[in-house]
Amino acid sequence: MPKQCPHCGKKNRFHRHRRDYRKFKKGLVFSERLSKPQKRTKKQQIFNGHSIEHKIAFLGNPNVGKSSLFNVLTGSHQHIGNWPGKTVERKEGHFILSDEYFSLVDLPGAYSLSARSEEEVITRNFIVEEKPDLVCVIADVTRLERTLFIALQAMELTENVAIIINMKDLAEKDCLDLDVGILEEKLSIPILYVCAYEDESIIRIKKFIYDSLHTTKYTFNPAMIVYSRKIEYMIKNISNQIEDRKLLSEYPTRWVAFRILEGDQIVKDELAKEYDLADIENKIEKLAKEEQFDPAVEISKRKYNALHHMVYSALSGFEDFKETTSDKIDKALLHKFWGYLILTAIFAAFFLITFYASSPIITGIDWIFVQFSSWVLTSLESINSPAFLNSLLVNGVIAGIAAVLLFLPIIFIFYALIAILEDSGYLARSAYLMDKVMGKFGMQGSAFLSLIMGFGCNVAGVMATRTIKNKRERTTMIIANSFIPCAARLGVIAFLTGIFFQPWLAAIIMLLLYGVSILLVLLTGLIFRLFYERDDPLPLILELPEYRRPRFRSVMNLTWERTGIFLKKAGTFIFVASLVIWFLSNVPYVKPTENTVLLYVGMSPVIVTKISIAEFLGRGLEAMTIPLFGFDWKMVVPLIFGIPAKEVIISALSILYPGGITKVLWTIPQVISFLLFQLTYAPCFATIAVIKSETKSWKLTAIGFFYPLIVTSILTVIVFQIFSAIM
Amino acid sequence: MPENAVVTVKAIKAGFKAIRFLADLGIHEGEKIRIVKNDIGPVIVDVKGTRVAIGRGLAGKIEVS
Repeated sequence: MPKQCPHCGKKNRFHRHRRDYRKFKKGLVFSERLSKPQKRTKKQQIFNGHSIEHKIAFLGNPNVGKSSLFNVLTGSHQHIGNWPGKTVERKEGHFILSDEYFSLVDLPGAYSLSARSEEEVITRNFIVEEKPDLVCVIADVTRLERTLFIALQAMELTENVAIIINMKDLAEKDCLDLDVGILEEKLSIPILYVCAYEDESIIRIKKFIYDSLHTTKYTFNPAMIVYSRKIEYMIKNISNQIEDRKLLSEYPTRWVAFRILEGDQIVKDELAKEYDLADIENKIEKLAKEEQFDPAVEISKRKYNALHHMVYSALSGFEDFKETTSDKIDKALLHKFWGYLILTAIFAAFFLITFYASSPIITGIDWIFVQFSSWVLTSLESINSPAFLNSLLVNGVIAGIAAVLLFLPIIFIFYALIAILEDSGYLARSAYLMDKVMGKFGMQGSAFLSLIMGFGCNVAGVMATRTIKNKRERTTMIIANSFIPCAARLGVIAFLTGIFFQPWLAAIIMLLLYGVSILLVLLTGLIFRLFYERDDPLPLILELPEYRRPRFRSVMNLTWERTGIFLKKAGTFIFVASLVIWFLSNVPYVKPTENTVLLYVGMSPVIVTKISIAEFLGRGLEAMTIPLFGFDWKMVVPLIFGIPAKEVIISALSILYPGGITKVLWTIPQVISFLLFQLTYAPCFATIAVIKSETKSWKLTAIGFFYPLIVTSILTVIVFQIFSAIM
Repeated sequence: MPENAVVTVKAIKAGFKAIRFLADLGIHEGEKIRIVKNDIGPVIVDVKGTRVAIGRGLAGKIEVS
């Protein structure tokens, strides 16, 4: 008789996970390979009666190796998206151990759960609303006090906390010795001490998470941290008053009381809906006056004091205020003179590598696509398929795919370099160095990278805003990036100034144009400041992580992740936009004859005939553009085609002026006006796509498109009128 | 304040948001910190084994002894 499974009743089923765990419990060798699941979909995993799902959240400070730990645990079983309605990344993944399904969420790095930044609000809401079965706090043994602080805050919020102390390898190098037993006893939660980069740690961590979920050994004691008697009395007082409110069915009472005492605006607003807090607030104010402290600061201070005692009893060999290798490196890299020189060199290299290393690859991809589309075209023609369909397939669909793939090398190299800078710890230093310079223009140091990258490609510039933590500044830089002339626009400037001006005058005009665009960026910063709610800008407080060698695995992980997001989000948009452009320029469809011309839009040949929509538009707009900007229709059409990609402007011009542009064709005011207009009038489609995917808001995307157009139009009209009056 | 000096924070006279942020990073009244860099630009301090850069304006509002 065939064996029957005791769990699901199926015959002849090999229940790998359960057997594995038995082996595992017996202390037999447990290899990573064995724990891999049989091919089943996620839904079946949870609902076929075999598995229990555990929700686990990873919480911790930035730079504690949280993400790499997450990556090694979940491997390829990952899903990256955004938190609903937020610009912060949300990473989810899973692993399976002993027939149980563990879904992991990597919460954004945060220093505390005080809900000061977007990241902290997300983190706190996740723990409260989604109630994970286990909150796994990742700490760093070389800075245990700081990284355990968030663990104490998490312990007030939920009982299911476990701590993984990372960086065991670094501790051994520094001769630090941690007694996990003491710490475990004092905190009364499960603690694991590992080095996440070693392969054998993976199974230890998985086992630890499994055990933490199934153990009843630790009983959490909320009164573990002893605040002063006055504070405890106050907490009790508040707790009594707010009891039985609706909010408290979700949150622990003691935690809510603490937040009220700290003056947490979000919790207070929520509670104020059903309860008048005036009485409590008066009491808190009285207490603060009596004791002369800020309750929030006092609570943090007490937590740190408690941690200090715990850590010192458990950790030996820790030397406070020691000058580390990082400090020595910083002496050079953050030097008031050499530091800036090195920064310039590093970013110059960054910029050059991104755009020069990618250009041969781009040319290669371009070539492949040209060959491929001509091959498709000839084979389609040989089977006599209708010309309209051929054109749609070749110039619409294939060209659309090409438009996306052509961006890929730049994006990939850019992200790889960013990941190296981030992983090594230099990115934070560059923000530190530029803070003084950018501060003069009311911006933070982290906006610098975005500004620099924008000169190469606005897509890269917008993506670089991810390093800006302040939401207002990030939005400003995303919108203002369209004002930075990218490499494609530089091409147009060089082309036209070369025709119309002496070399020295051309150079001056080029510099002036760059000056105008930087001025527009800074003005945008000031204008946006007026529109955003005036949250008083927090002065620079920035943690500088220790330098370390970038790890290939984590760099590659980060790069793949972010490139994947670009492909998925922006890629779709660019593809669709390319199709739209095809329709605009090919409907109504006319068979190519001798007097039609092929116009290459980036990659895709667009056929301009006498009756294409583009020319209609150009002639229609002429009535308005001639008096205002001095543009006739032959100048308007290239600008229209330039909206999806600025590279097109030159090729469109050379097609519309078959004899080439000469000095007699345009007047000087016309040239100036054209140069100025093309400099900043609209971001390309790829940039718009990235603005959409980064801001998650159609409103901001619309602003990102129309705001430069309006500003540039006004500016150009003024300049053109002045020039034509003088000359 | 000279570099490499270990000092004790006496008082922080800044906006409440900044004070709370600093407190969460472990910089509060009575805490010992080491000044790592203090020439131009933001001041870097060593607190609890980590390096924190503080804008010069804010750093000026932290009284130490």
